[in-house]
Amino acid sequence: MLDLQGLIKDRVLLLDGAMGTELFRAGLPPGHCPEAWNEERPEAVAAIHLAYLAAGSQAILTNSFGGNRLKLAGYGLEDRAYDLNYKAARVARSVCPEGCYVGGSIGPTGKFLQPVGDLTEDRLAEAFRPQVEGLAAGGVDFLLVETQYDLKEALLALKVARETCSLPVLVSLTFQLTRRGYFTIMGVSPEAFVKVMEEEWVPAFGANCTLNSEQMIGLIRILRSLTAKPLLAQANAGQPQLGPDGSTFYNQGPEEYASYIPELIRAGARIIGGCCGTSPEYIKKMAEIISASADNILKGELDETGNK
Amino acid sequence: MKQETSEQLQLLTQAIIQGRVDESGPLAEKALASGRPPLEIIEKACLPAIEEVGRLWEAGEYFLPELIAGAEAMKAAMAILQAALKATGQTLQSAGRVVIGTVEGDIHDIGKNLVASMLRAASFEVIDLGADVKIDKFVEAAVEEKADLIALSALLTTTMLNQKKVIELLKSSGLRDRFRVMVGGAPVTEKYAREIGADGYGESAVQAVAVARSLVQIRR
Repeated sequence: MLDLQGLIKDRVLLLDGAMGTELFRAGLPPGHCPEAWNEERPEAVAAIHLAYLAAGSQAILTNSFGGNRLKLAGYGLEDRAYDLNYKAARVARSVCPEGCYVGGSIGPTGKFLQPVGDLTEDRLAEAFRPQVEGLAAGGVDFLLVETQYDLKEALLALKVARETCSLPVLVSLTFQLTRRGYFTIMGVSPEAFVKVMEEEWVPAFGANCTLNSEQMIGLIRILRSLTAKPLLAQANAGQPQLGPDGSTFYNQGPEEYASYIPELIRAGARIIGGCCGTSPEYIKKMAEIISASADNILKGELDETGNK
Repeated sequence: MKQETSEQLQLLTQAIIQGRVDESGPLAEKALASGRPPLEIIEKACLPAIEEVGRLWEAGEYFLPELIAGAEAMKAAMAILQAALKATGQTLQSAGRVVIGTVEGDIHDIGKNLVASMLRAASFEVIDLGADVKIDKFVEAAVEEKADLIALSALLTTTMLNQKKVIELLKSSGLRDRFRVMVGGAPVTEKYAREIGADGYGESAVQAVAVARSLVQIRR
């Protein structure tokens, strides 16, 4: 089993960057189910994984972000949930070398539990179950319940995952920076998040999406002040902009994005990757910066606190 | 008597602000039973209430659950008050007609639904086309429904380009001046909205209502 604590004891674990924006770049037509490519174009998905591994990712995340039944239902593919997730795991596993890891990505359903929406807890649990089963059977090393905004939904995914398999499950919420500080759209505060993660013995948790790498630092500092658990951070490459040729690009380039990584590590992040808009180019820059500065930062921390 | 009824209005206002969906309808009925004209109840109790919900959201005090509960409580009260209004032969003046949807290729509908319910709460007539809506469908529906406004949601960097395509289709069909266009969605920014030639952009559902109001006013 993945020894998460050992893995990040004295180093930073570098995850991969965005899958969605890379799939579109590889020709996924708008309106087409991204997870369907795990069986229609596995070589294209594998090429993205390989590009991240070549850039320096030590763990890659499966192309299964929207692989729950409720999200797949938008494409009429809800009954393919197990297969598409199994194939997502197989594709990633097939290209992942010794010493690197495969994480099973589990995103939100996009629906709301009662009373905000009309979803029951049972239906939500059943939306995640075939996804977890498929990812576990396909051979992932850990699961990442990510980009969640409702703590209840994240906890339900966690519960289903623990009922279904014995893989480590990491949890990541997406926070916005409001006038009153960092909150998810459902109003979950960093304090409420950490409390529940500690109660549930989640081995590592953190934040992804919405914030850029600079804004992420402030949030990680707050989370670090509340917990000693390893923290995960996957920021967006800023905001999308319209290019002169009519295409969209993100306003934080690889250089700028990566320049905040040392501060992010100092703030307490140990499992670091990219979210929307990041690419292998970003991961390559991050890998360079981490290998140049992470040792010193982590060593400095050890010196300060004695043996940590 | 007078004081008693103004207290009733306050109770209704509070029920909407606090999102008590089961109570706002009965409280609207009580206010009607006390003899107040429906229009007065709407203007003095309901509209200030939903504005306060919006203010609390903007201030970061309210989040999605509170905003949705407030809009639902408003809807329940308005259903009763509008029926009463109709019975007296009056109708509430519409704030404007909006055709709304998430653009082609995009199945995300949380933000769009939120904007639609906030617009409805603010007395707009909303024609919701759903998610993954074809570019020409927006234009067709706007013409057919005699809309004032077209509201386009996009949550992906690839599909936000379809917001631009709707505006281009309006131009090439010679219909650009007939409708105001507003855009929104997580990746959309004010700068992007300007670049693609939209008339307005709302960062949140609450802002979207204010933008919609000002766009309709300019038009009228």
